[in-house]
Amino acid sequence: YRDLHTFELQAPTRLIEWARGNRVCVAGYGQSDGNEILQLIPPPTLLTKEIQGLCPERDFKVECGGFSERPVYSLKYVPDTSLLVTSGPPDSSLQVWQVSAEDSDVIKSVNTIATENGTGQSWAKIATISARAPWVLHGSGLDRVQITEVESRKNVYTAASRGSKELSDLAFLDCNTLLLCCVTGHLCLADIRQPQSLMEAMSVPSVPCSEQWRMGTRHGPQGLEPSFQPVARLSSRGHLTLTDLRKTSEFLALAKARVPSPGSGAEFLCVSWAPALEGYLAISGFDGTVHVFDTQSWDSSGREAEPIFVHKGHAFGGAGGSGDPPLVTVHTWHLQKPRTLLSAASDGSLHVWDWVQPCGKC
Amino acid sequence: LLVFHWCPGAGQDVGRSCILVSIAGKNVMLDCGMHMGYNDDRRFPDFSYITQNGRLTDFLDCVIISHFHLDHCGALPYFSEMVGYDGPIYMTHPTKAICPILLEDYRKITVDKKGETNFFTSQMIKDCMKKVVAVHLHQTVQVDEELEIKAYYAGHVLGAAMFQIKVGCESVVYTGDYNMTPDRHLGAAWIDKCRPDLLISESTYATTIRDSKRCRERDFLKKVHETVERGGKVLIPVFALGRAQELCILLETFWERMNLKAPIYFSTGLTEKANHYYKLFITWTNQKIRKTFVQRNMFEFKHIKAFDRAFADNPGPMVVFATPGMLHAGQSLQIFRKWAGNEKNMVIMPGYCVQGTVGHKILSGQRKLEMEGRQILEVKMQVEYMSFSAHADAKGIMQLIRQAEPRNVLLVHGEAKKMEFLKQKIEQEFHVSCFMPANGETTTILTNPCIPVDISLGLLKRETAIGPLPDAKKPKLMHGTLLMKDNSFRLVSPEQALKELGLAEHQLRFTCRVHIQDPRKEHETVLRVYNHLKGVLKDYSVQHLPDGSITVESILIQATAHSEDQGTKVLLVSWTYQDEELGSYLTSLLKKGLPQSTP
Repeated sequence: YRDLHTFELQAPTRLIEWARGNRVCVAGYGQSDGNEILQLIPPPTLLTKEIQGLCPERDFKVECGGFSERPVYSLKYVPDTSLLVTSGPPDSSLQVWQVSAEDSDVIKSVNTIATENGTGQSWAKIATISARAPWVLHGSGLDRVQITEVESRKNVYTAASRGSKELSDLAFLDCNTLLLCCVTGHLCLADIRQPQSLMEAMSVPSVPCSEQWRMGTRHGPQGLEPSFQPVARLSSRGHLTLTDLRKTSEFLALAKARVPSPGSGAEFLCVSWAPALEGYLAISGFDGTVHVFDTQSWDSSGREAEPIFVHKGHAFGGAGGSGDPPLVTVHTWHLQKPRTLLSAASDGSLHVWDWVQPCGKC
Repeated sequence: LLVFHWCPGAGQDVGRSCILVSIAGKNVMLDCGMHMGYNDDRRFPDFSYITQNGRLTDFLDCVIISHFHLDHCGALPYFSEMVGYDGPIYMTHPTKAICPILLEDYRKITVDKKGETNFFTSQMIKDCMKKVVAVHLHQTVQVDEELEIKAYYAGHVLGAAMFQIKVGCESVVYTGDYNMTPDRHLGAAWIDKCRPDLLISESTYATTIRDSKRCRERDFLKKVHETVERGGKVLIPVFALGRAQELCILLETFWERMNLKAPIYFSTGLTEKANHYYKLFITWTNQKIRKTFVQRNMFEFKHIKAFDRAFADNPGPMVVFATPGMLHAGQSLQIFRKWAGNEKNMVIMPGYCVQGTVGHKILSGQRKLEMEGRQILEVKMQVEYMSFSAHADAKGIMQLIRQAEPRNVLLVHGEAKKMEFLKQKIEQEFHVSCFMPANGETTTILTNPCIPVDISLGLLKRETAIGPLPDAKKPKLMHGTLLMKDNSFRLVSPEQALKELGLAEHQLRFTCRVHIQDPRKEHETVLRVYNHLKGVLKDYSVQHLPDGSITVESILIQATAHSEDQGTKVLLVSWTYQDEELGSYLTSLLKKGLPQSTP
């Protein structure tokens, strides 16, 4: 490590979202009500690239907070607005909140975007964009994907239904293109200008079912052109696939991560690309660790890949003894500092760590 | 309950603590701090706020000091000797022992080194301390017949306490500065379920999520180790007592584990005194220290020695703890001047530095300082900041509220504008009101005092016997007479009250006339009335007496013919005051007339 800071949140979070001004947002996902949404200001050591002058604080400050009656499983800021959207069980409706950090430090609930509930589907996955207007893309299953305008709550797009597979992720590739990932690993592309077509893209390497998949997309430098960055998919058994969306008939790369088995399920699977390091990605959700990989050395053989770095802090941090070992619920990369990550675990811990590139690589 | 709050200090400033509470007619001052950022009168609170004309001694029933930090007790000698107060001042034993040392230290620096005049003297400190009454933890102290106080362990620093102030059944708990997690030499704050009307809590770290102690300690040790390894000197400016002990234990343990040889020094004079006080007040330290104390005195360090001024010039690596903590004067500043020019050296500021001090300047990035005599000092040594202060964060505040179960909460020391979230959090979780007054503001809190009343056994038995059976889940309404004599309240039966007061009982009887159209004879009318009432009032005892009258419970109904009109009968309905309700009901019932078809 170059650096490691550990913090303890009052309640564990399963999301870490970046907001304007380098703010970080976390939220509780407990079953009882009284879950808090907290927008945090990271310590000055994390805000700037180099340490300038005084660095008195090493602590996160709660800039503002809100109370949610339902567990918060997903949260996304709506760009260019002071709003954010959350979702969580028991249904697939969305909650809209207002953050007005200058006036008061309370995040207020302003609206709900209701949806019809599909059978057996729980909560909606969400993605936001503010190209033509502040939009939120949401849905819990393939048959319920829609885009709603956040302020007016009007529906602007509904995807053609292609079966009711449960979704694990969705994303805006640009202001017209959507990428949807199902729990089974299937990817679908859609162009919102052509509501009837839903292109089914790459499926997954044929491995026995009961695996669940998540995807990670990389956002290139600012701009709304389609970013032809490979899409990564991670399964609950540790399989990783990289796909170039322009050539969906083949995999760019296939690999396997060493993960404990039997796995802890797919609840907290997380895979993400490094925004400032080409070809690096991180995975977590199997145990108390976060693995960082350099995918540039991967091929299509599907053999086991060695991680460049493993963060084990959460596994050791716990109170020790009683209870299950903590499980990493989410991780995310710092947007500017290339080797800094934030990770959270089921025991409420929040770590900020900066790993050192092992020798031999530049 | 009134709380007048003075804690001026803009933004993040530590400011000073001084709170005035008015509770059930008693006036108590909580803490009497000094603001260390100002060098003029602004450092002391303006006591003319309290009372324009009267003497402070007459107005205030007592003063309570929570702990020895100067922002809580620094203005005490000024207040008692220069402004004038002769009443009792309460604090814990360690606070009483240590306060005068810190006050004297600060006085020396301010007056002797800086040449200030409007400041208290050594004699004033001594005179002030003569007015102090020391208290033990959990000891109820009667300030006067009605006012009592009790101290609770607060952690934070040696001798820090939270105080409960009680008058009758109204009470306030003031936390001072406290800490809910134990550290290396002190335990965590603790209070019982005392359910005060108001809990006044500090909230300095309420909106902070602190870096784990282990990380901070690890980073601190790493920095010290690196400096010493390259032959540099580490200066750690500290206040004599407080975090210094914590850091000493930390370094001692590390030195032992890593088998390091570089010397560690602690300011002369204060080492012995500090150890002496910690030994004396061993019960104030945490469990671990008390347990291990038998085997080895945690405060007798193997690797830490007393410092001599001359050592600062010794070559080679070393670590020195020197006072005062903000590098504003004294020994730490002297050493700083000697070592500042060498980039191998390091100074680690272990706490917040008030504006105006050298500590604050170097932490702000200043590298060229103007010293006395217009000398410029170039700072090439490394400057680090590492805060080890022990305050409660949001989680800790919630824990304390959960322990004490107050009816209202008041937060001080925080940044009022940005605390709406915490306020809502407290209000939602505990269903209490939360106040966050600005400096100089008065907060009024309404309390519901309980007035205990004794009820006589006879009355209790009698009242529970009437009406439906008592239900444990439902409140039962009872009637009695309240006797207030001297300071006691008693609820007794009216008969007993009359007896005790020597009054005769008067009976009130109401009689009402109801006219009924009925040409028949009186006794027939009576029979009609009787049957009617019997049919309607099934739950009541309706009787037809041989003398021709009807009774409904204890109400009497008699019929007579109207003197002028044979077709009209006059019913006389008569009841006592106790049966008012039934009587009125009967009357209105009869006024409606009798049913046409009578059996």
